[in-house]
Amino acid sequence: MRPPQFIHSTTFHWALAVAGVLAIFVTTLFGFIYWKTDSYLIARSDMVIAGELNIIAAVPEERRLYSVDQHLKEDSRNVQYAGLFDSDGRRVGGNLEQLPPGLKTDSSVQSVSITRMLPTGKETRVIRAIARRTPSGQMVVIGREVDEARKISHVVGLALALGLVPGFCLCLLAGAWLSMRAQGRVEEVNLRVQRIIAGDLRERLPHRSVDEPFSKLAIIVNGMLDEMETMINALAGVGNDIAHDLRTPLTRARLALERGRTNATTLEQLQGVVDRSILGIDQALTIVTALLRLAEIENSRRSAAFGCVALHDMLGEVRDIYEPIAENKDIALRVAATNNLTVRGDRDLLIEAIANLIDNAIKFTPEGGRVDLELLRVEGETIVRVTDTGCGISEQERDAVQRRFYRSDKIRNTPGVGLGLNLVTAIVKLHDFRLAIFPGPGCRVEIICPDTQELKVSGKDTASAREPYAMADSPKAAMVAAAKSI
Amino acid sequence: MTRLLLIEDDSETAEEITAELADCGFEVEWAANGIEGLDKARSLRPDAMIVDRLLPGMDGLTVIEALRKDQVRTPVLVLSALGAVDDRVRGLRMGGDDYLTKPFAFVELIARIEALLRRPVESRETTLRAGPLELDLIARTVKRGDREIDLLPREFRLLEYMMQRSDQVLTRAMLLEEVWNYKFVPATNLVDVHMGRLRHKVDGPSDMPLIHNVRGAGFILRTGP
Repeated sequence: MRPPQFIHSTTFHWALAVAGVLAIFVTTLFGFIYWKTDSYLIARSDMVIAGELNIIAAVPEERRLYSVDQHLKEDSRNVQYAGLFDSDGRRVGGNLEQLPPGLKTDSSVQSVSITRMLPTGKETRVIRAIARRTPSGQMVVIGREVDEARKISHVVGLALALGLVPGFCLCLLAGAWLSMRAQGRVEEVNLRVQRIIAGDLRERLPHRSVDEPFSKLAIIVNGMLDEMETMINALAGVGNDIAHDLRTPLTRARLALERGRTNATTLEQLQGVVDRSILGIDQALTIVTALLRLAEIENSRRSAAFGCVALHDMLGEVRDIYEPIAENKDIALRVAATNNLTVRGDRDLLIEAIANLIDNAIKFTPEGGRVDLELLRVEGETIVRVTDTGCGISEQERDAVQRRFYRSDKIRNTPGVGLGLNLVTAIVKLHDFRLAIFPGPGCRVEIICPDTQELKVSGKDTASAREPYAMADSPKAAMVAAAKSI
Repeated sequence: MTRLLLIEDDSETAEEITAELADCGFEVEWAANGIEGLDKARSLRPDAMIVDRLLPGMDGLTVIEALRKDQVRTPVLVLSALGAVDDRVRGLRMGGDDYLTKPFAFVELIARIEALLRRPVESRETTLRAGPLELDLIARTVKRGDREIDLLPREFRLLEYMMQRSDQVLTRAMLLEEVWNYKFVPATNLVDVHMGRLRHKVDGPSDMPLIHNVRGAGFILRTGP
């Protein structure tokens, strides 16, 4: 027969260990109580014996025999011993045959072996006794049996031992029950987890009350699953977007080639077809390059090569590059960077980010509009602000524009890949800066660079751990609450 | 005849490149792996090399490093599917003279090979001359014949680069890398706009045009007819 599964569980092993410790504890307790009771009872009986000796020794010699006999008569349980001996050690009276050998005179109570004279005969046993020589030379011996005390101690011990057995059993039963319950929960969780592994990302672990550790764990894991589901869905979305955006130019190229192969009759026609195909392939390649660049920035860490970047000079450079382009479109590009502010960062990446913002601003601003590039200092933060008079980004679209390939319906006809702002976001994130987008008649985008970056890096973990949990109702908040109270 | 060495493991790519380069008048030797490439580079003494980065046996950068150790100064164009900025920087640091990411257009490849073969010689000359143009690097002035041309700093830098490489096709990517120091490709076609302005200043209405568009490739500063 196979032993039940709970025997192998840690919970059960712990219960077993607890039961063992309980047994040792009870046995020790039993020993202690036995020893204590025993010595207490003997001490009490010794006191009685000494008291009785005092009384009998104080009685005048002529009445001493009488009081000894009286003393023995009062003992209905036959536990008392008394003896009166003359100065030569001969028995005068009492129930002791002779002076117990080894009994010290005028000492404290001690254990001695005696012979008792009973109506039925003689009996030898060990008792507690005391002896004293009176001034007249008589010896008085008083004793008492202690078997009674031993019996009482024995009963106490037995009671404890009897309590031990059910206690031990209870421990084992509780252990078995707890481990079977835990096993059941594990089975349940395993079942759900298997479903998640099989691809059902919406499955969650069961949980009951918040105070139970298992439920707390389940809530934490569920929070993690929520996050992962969101991320995986987002990833799948990005994958679909990439596939779609790559397919469009590739389809164009393929169709052009196929039609050209059958329909082109002259070399010029064929060349035209090929040119269009190359254009389509180049477009697809542009998307791939942009995506790789994005991944490159997103995966790079804060580089040790970060240096001091003078934003004033950088903005001037961006103006030099984009002024002719703005002029061509009859857009006024104004740069206001009076104070020379610096930030720590990668110069090439920052110029790429700012160039991208200006590029976007010029692209989405109609002719005759204005683009402003400003360098500001607000409340201990350095801000690079790009304002345009274009179509702007509506409140609903503000989060969407930071998604990959998002292109507003308003700008469907403007050329572009739709990854520019992603690139800016990635660069800004790499620097621990913030990107803020404000709606308006046009659009205002700000790169906010906090000053104390060195401090922020060291405190980054706590800051990033705190920030996303601001929403109290989110599963994350529950997850954190559960984690904290464990 | 100019002799080129191509080290590329994919035979189909190598065939296409060889054929295209041959059409442009180059004599091309092909090596399919790093070790063979290194041998040929030492024995054939080519004028320039095109080296793929990922090769069986010995990778492209190791080949270049070995050659540089032997004091072989042959200009090298590194070809690679690894296009990240870091990869590029490593490629150039290991002794490559230029770096081209796959896939590429043939015009880009040819333009870069030409540029490598005709690298401007280090000179103490402080005045550049190309046709009727005269550029003073110290005074930072430009003259076309007797006419003074007023240029912005970036336009000056652009013209300086073009005059050093007159009569060569210069692609947009080359100009972005060399003149603007851009490590990325901007969305808007900056180069065309800036080139348009420069051309407007250099080629007056009555002058014979010097700056020309090369369709599908880039620009050229032509000094001769």
